[in-house]
Amino acid sequence: GLFAHLAALEARAHEAAVKREEKEQQEERLARLRARVQELRLQRDELRAKVDLQHKVQLGKGGVVSDPAQPSARAVLEWKIGSVKRMLQVFYLTGISGKLTRQGVCFCISTAYEGTYLDSYYLDLLTKAEVQIQRHSVPAFIPLEQIAKKYLQTDVRRFLSVLSDHLNAYVGRRYQADQLQEHFSDLIKGTLQRNSLCNLLVFDYNVSSESDAFPYSARLVYGDLCRSLPTEVVVSTT
Amino acid sequence: MDETVAEYIRRTILKIPRDEIKTVLQKWHFLSETQLETINFHQIKENISQDVVQLCEENSAGIKQAAVLDIIYNHIYPDKRVWSVYQMNKTGEETEPFDVTDFKKKFKRQLRSALKNVTITFREYEDNAIWIRIAWGTPYTKPNQYKTSYVVYHSQTPYVFVSASVLRSNLPLLCQALVVASNYHDIREMELRSHSLNSLKDIVFKRYSQNFQTYRPRQLQESNVAPTNVDIRIISENRNEKERIQRLSREVFGDGIQPKLEFAQYKLETMFRSDPRMDVLNKKEPFRCLVKFSSPHLLESLKSLAPAGMADAPLSPLLTCIPQKARNYFKIREKKDLFPESFVNP
Repeated sequence: GLFAHLAALEARAHEAAVKREEKEQQEERLARLRARVQELRLQRDELRAKVDLQHKVQLGKGGVVSDPAQPSARAVLEWKIGSVKRMLQVFYLTGISGKLTRQGVCFCISTAYEGTYLDSYYLDLLTKAEVQIQRHSVPAFIPLEQIAKKYLQTDVRRFLSVLSDHLNAYVGRRYQADQLQEHFSDLIKGTLQRNSLCNLLVFDYNVSSESDAFPYSARLVYGDLCRSLPTEVVVSTT
Repeated sequence: MDETVAEYIRRTILKIPRDEIKTVLQKWHFLSETQLETINFHQIKENISQDVVQLCEENSAGIKQAAVLDIIYNHIYPDKRVWSVYQMNKTGEETEPFDVTDFKKKFKRQLRSALKNVTITFREYEDNAIWIRIAWGTPYTKPNQYKTSYVVYHSQTPYVFVSASVLRSNLPLLCQALVVASNYHDIREMELRSHSLNSLKDIVFKRYSQNFQTYRPRQLQESNVAPTNVDIRIISENRNEKERIQRLSREVFGDGIQPKLEFAQYKLETMFRSDPRMDVLNKKEPFRCLVKFSSPHLLESLKSLAPAGMADAPLSPLLTCIPQKARNYFKIREKKDLFPESFVNP
């Protein structure tokens, strides 16, 4: 009956959550290792280019006088541009990158969920006297002021880390809700009812697309704004 | 069907451009597709509206349905009204996630406890915007459907967009209801007004393009640098200056389209500066003056001033700070030293 169904759902959900946690941890480890691999590759390329340069210079001295300085300088420049671009890409992939500006620092928080890169948010910080946010592109429903009040003056790294958690969790929740809407539109009645932070989802659904009724009603509450999984789920019959 | 309801529906239909009436009625979902098929949308609007009223009569439309039609009309054509922005404050943290059913209940209860004779209609949209339509009455008269205010609120944000009606006396009631329903402590009006609701949203929600200096690899627009004149005998003498102006413009205004504002108003209370020998204004009182910039698209025109050669780059920060400070009404007072600074003063 209904209880058996609920128990089964609960068990399934628990399993899925545990699996997902494991998967997340693994992927984090993987991303870190990949970034390290990139670093090492860049170092190796650097050294290789130096060796090549040495060779070319020596050949030029002993061999035909064909103006070796011109092409190798150009090659070096092209390689430098390429390596800088790759380094910038690595910065972007790590999720938080920054650039020194005239008055302080500009940070870019790139968010992702399970391998899909989503939005990027920017913060322009002034670091003259005390640290201040000059301008930003963080959405108004993220509690930026609260997080800044707690951590901005004392520990900028913690501030960025907490803000990044909030933003990543928000885009994760939003992405999941969008995917749910998209892939299960025949099992869900109408559209999901949500709010700006996507931390409350309410919808009526069915488990099979054969009937037209939507006998179950689900209410998902995401109590922790830094997590993209719900803290409370209530399923009832409509 | 009530005569007043019929008249109200008729007048609302007349406001809509003829080619769009059918779409609006479809969004309304009150008349069925078969009913809509019976209307000839190519006749004059007077006749279309009469036909619509006839069908509404068949479906027994009431004031609730007419109010929904009005909200839909205002949602599709928001730029016909002037919108102001209000900001709410709260001290504590969120305990419960925002529930729209809860919000609506609290709003209705709070407003009705202060004034019974109001028509309140809600409509939610996919971008988490909640539209509220309020038709105001008085303690002794029924709500007047032509005296309406509209509120747009995005959940879990501190900003509310209000298009008030003539009755400014009802604003405190409205503000109180909003604060209670959204679990905030207080509310104040910002110095930001425009016809373009979406531009106001862009400004406070930071959706407009700000030029952040980052290492994020981006495609630079090469189109401006492409050579426009093929004739090599024509040399651009001021190329360096032009490029400097382009660069400054881009730094200040960003790459995208600016939010749409119609005016910026500066109230000056500064001393008149003249040659002391000319002895104008002996009294040394502040020279009161109001400067108002108007334009169909103020920020875009400011952006094009320097490239068009009409102003020096960089532009005054008083003009360029408008989206960042989220205000287009300023009071400029004298500072202790000789430079007039803008005092952010509500």
